[in-house]
Amino acid sequence: MSSRSIRSSFQKKLLARFLVAGFVPLLVCIVLVTILFRVTLNSSTENRAERQLADMSERLHTLVLGCDDVLEQLQESELVLAALTGEREATEVYSFLYDATGQMSRQATFSLYDGEGQLLYTTGTAAPGERLPLNWGLLYAAREGAGLICRRASEYDKVRHGSMQLARAVWGEDEIPAGYVTAELSDDCFRHLFEGTYDSGNDILVLDRFWGTVYASPTLHDETLAPRLRAQLLEGESLSIAGSNCTYYVQEEPASGFALVMQQPKPVADWIMQLLLWVTVAALLLSLLLGSQFSMAFSREIFEPIRELNTAMARIEEGDLAVRLEVRGTDEISQLLERFNLMAGRLKENLDNSIRQQQELGDAQIRMMQAQLNPHFLYNTLDTLKWLGKINRIPEVSTISANLADILRSSISADDFVRLGDELALLERYVEIQNIRFPDKFVYQTDIEDETREMLIPKLTLQPLVENAIIHGFEDGSHGVITVSAAQRGDELTVTVQDDGCGMSPDSRARFLAKSGAASGHLGLYNVDAILRLHYGEKCGLKFLSPRDGRGTCIRMTLPVRTRTDKEDATL
Amino acid sequence: MKRLTLLLCALLMCLSACGSQESDALASLAPGEEHRLTVYTSHKEEVYGPIVKEFEERTGIWVTVVTGGTNELLERIHSEGDRPECDVMFGGGVESLMQYETDFEPYTCSEADQIQPGLRPAGDAWAPFSSLPVVLIYNTRLVSEDQLTGWADLLDPRWKGKIAFADPSVSGSGYTAVMAMLVALGGDEADLLEQFADNLDGKILMDSGDVVGAVSSGECSVGITLEETAVKRRSQGASIGIVYPVEGTSNLPDGTALIANAPHRDNAVAFLEFVQSADVQELVVSDFSRRTVRIDVADMDFLPPMSQVSLVDYPIEQAAAEKERFLQLWRELNREKTP
Repeated sequence: MSSRSIRSSFQKKLLARFLVAGFVPLLVCIVLVTILFRVTLNSSTENRAERQLADMSERLHTLVLGCDDVLEQLQESELVLAALTGEREATEVYSFLYDATGQMSRQATFSLYDGEGQLLYTTGTAAPGERLPLNWGLLYAAREGAGLICRRASEYDKVRHGSMQLARAVWGEDEIPAGYVTAELSDDCFRHLFEGTYDSGNDILVLDRFWGTVYASPTLHDETLAPRLRAQLLEGESLSIAGSNCTYYVQEEPASGFALVMQQPKPVADWIMQLLLWVTVAALLLSLLLGSQFSMAFSREIFEPIRELNTAMARIEEGDLAVRLEVRGTDEISQLLERFNLMAGRLKENLDNSIRQQQELGDAQIRMMQAQLNPHFLYNTLDTLKWLGKINRIPEVSTISANLADILRSSISADDFVRLGDELALLERYVEIQNIRFPDKFVYQTDIEDETREMLIPKLTLQPLVENAIIHGFEDGSHGVITVSAAQRGDELTVTVQDDGCGMSPDSRARFLAKSGAASGHLGLYNVDAILRLHYGEKCGLKFLSPRDGRGTCIRMTLPVRTRTDKEDATL
Repeated sequence: MKRLTLLLCALLMCLSACGSQESDALASLAPGEEHRLTVYTSHKEEVYGPIVKEFEERTGIWVTVVTGGTNELLERIHSEGDRPECDVMFGGGVESLMQYETDFEPYTCSEADQIQPGLRPAGDAWAPFSSLPVVLIYNTRLVSEDQLTGWADLLDPRWKGKIAFADPSVSGSGYTAVMAMLVALGGDEADLLEQFADNLDGKILMDSGDVVGAVSSGECSVGITLEETAVKRRSQGASIGIVYPVEGTSNLPDGTALIANAPHRDNAVAFLEFVQSADVQELVVSDFSRRTVRIDVADMDFLPPMSQVSLVDYPIEQAAAEKERFLQLWRELNREKTP
């Protein structure tokens, strides 16, 4: 359970960091770039469009005012008034007309109508007998209105010389106008007027006060545009609908009240912006995906071995020391796994060793115990022997049996360790026996430091050594000296048994060193060695030293110094 | 995480805000509600166009025009109920307008006394605009003037299968014509209808606009249509002659209606006044080849004055009421005939 929650929090942390590192900078970057791009691009095109539109409005304004000046001039002129009632010659009127209109006649068509609406004079072309209705349209407005009339020419007007009409009524003495003066601007006029003022690719519309089309630039073929824009204006909607690919700019010309509309294709079409948006979203999603994928993979890479390690350790806890981990790679985690394997291996070795040692100890103990007979029977029998010896006055018999009884008692006792002094005492009993059996065979001497007598050694370890010297050292019938010495070196006790007998053949020694179990004839040495090693470790077995004078055998055992008090502390 | 999302939202809002400055400039150009008017019209563009434009220029009111068929628009007005989007219904024959009078607000124009009495509806539920007499036409190359004088001639078997006539179930003017004929001729309706249907011989046109074309092309020898259409086409050069049936014909007006609860009532009233004014009525005569409804305005010189045209007493209400029954009968009579 805990491993899962550790993993999930680790993964979450990793994921969060990956996402922040990958996702956020990307998002911020894209958003800023997009905004900058759009804003600068749009604002520059907007500025340009608005400037151009202002310029166009200015031009139209100048033209309208120019026409109005002329109309005013004509309106006030005495000559015109007279001309309207037919009191002037045509040439005179025309000369005045062209004079008055001057430059303007190139841009607009100026006409004079009489009080009945009949066309009298015009600077443009006219069909004979043209007349305008008095109670409708332009002339009606000129009559009813106060000053300049500005309106769109209707497609239903039978008489028209242009798309935009300006008119003033000419007043005589009474309330009825003597006539009318008009100026009309044709499509050509508008084309010339706006030439070069707007970028190609853009289109313009000139709309009247009610947004009816007065003029549309030649490249604008969509006749439904103006009605659509009008409808949008009335609805209160923006002219540039999102989704269309054009922006619309509007400017009102103050003199006429007409509106100038410029259609500009969007520099960055809406669909491009949409595409950008989709690409952005895709990129962000991708970074999100990659971020999470990588974080998952990475955390898995780290966590899997850790999880394996965890499980392996749990199994070791349960006692399965055979578990090993598969090591892939050479990174720190793999090194960790490798060390774990080594550690598990060593643990198993140690355990195996200690088991084996336990077993050996157990075996030795068993062997010892097997060697023991029912003690009471032995004591009583030996006791009987001792008394028989005493009664029959054979002192050797009682000595032997008494000593044997002591030796036996000691070997049966529960203590694993005895004082060196006690062990030496026992050794002397043994030697006494052997002296009786083999008189003058050997001499036993000791060289013991006094302090060492209190030190503990495992029981019955010296006797087999001396026995070995007696049996094998003097096999060939030689006669020699057995010396047992004990000394303290630092915190080690060395006990040496030396004889000057025939020595051990290299063969026997090899066999002994190979520890090949019950090497026949040297069972005692083997047991002592085993006991020493069991108690004190592998290094504390019996050692062969080169004998003094080069003859014989020298066996030494080295043990740590222990006294009874140490032992008691240990057992407590 | 929360801070991140807040930051994101802020950025996105900046993005969107970079676009909405236009609307304020535009708002100043748009007219206020008091300068607006919505007109539903079934007239052709050459009829409503100049009238609407002149109205705009004279009053400064922005007019939104919605076009459609008469019945379609009237139904729409009816379905708009108490909250109409429309202010004025401009167009529609008397028979259609009559059926929807409940949707109109009766209004008596200031110059209503100048309207020909026979054309004003009861209670001035709507204002008459122009009147359209039904006439007979004939191909001048195929038919001589004296061969066609009235409705009775249409029952003459010599014209069998050569009569251009619009299906009354589709065409309002077709229905008016056949009704006028029945009233003019008198007698047993069913009988007359059967004779007429017989004479048509299954050749019935689906559009009243096709009648003149059929006659002038020679496909048919004679036809029944409205005077306005016939006059206009004749002046354009079609080889047709016009006959006013001796037995009498109908002269039904079309009208303009003020919609009840109109959102721009004052503007609508102005429109109605304008349409009834002498200026517009003169236009009706001069430009639309129609008959004016005003007494003080004269029709075109080359048209016979209405005083000289014999009219039947067209039973408007009855005709409206009987229409369903008539159409059923008509369908039956023609079932065997259609090829």
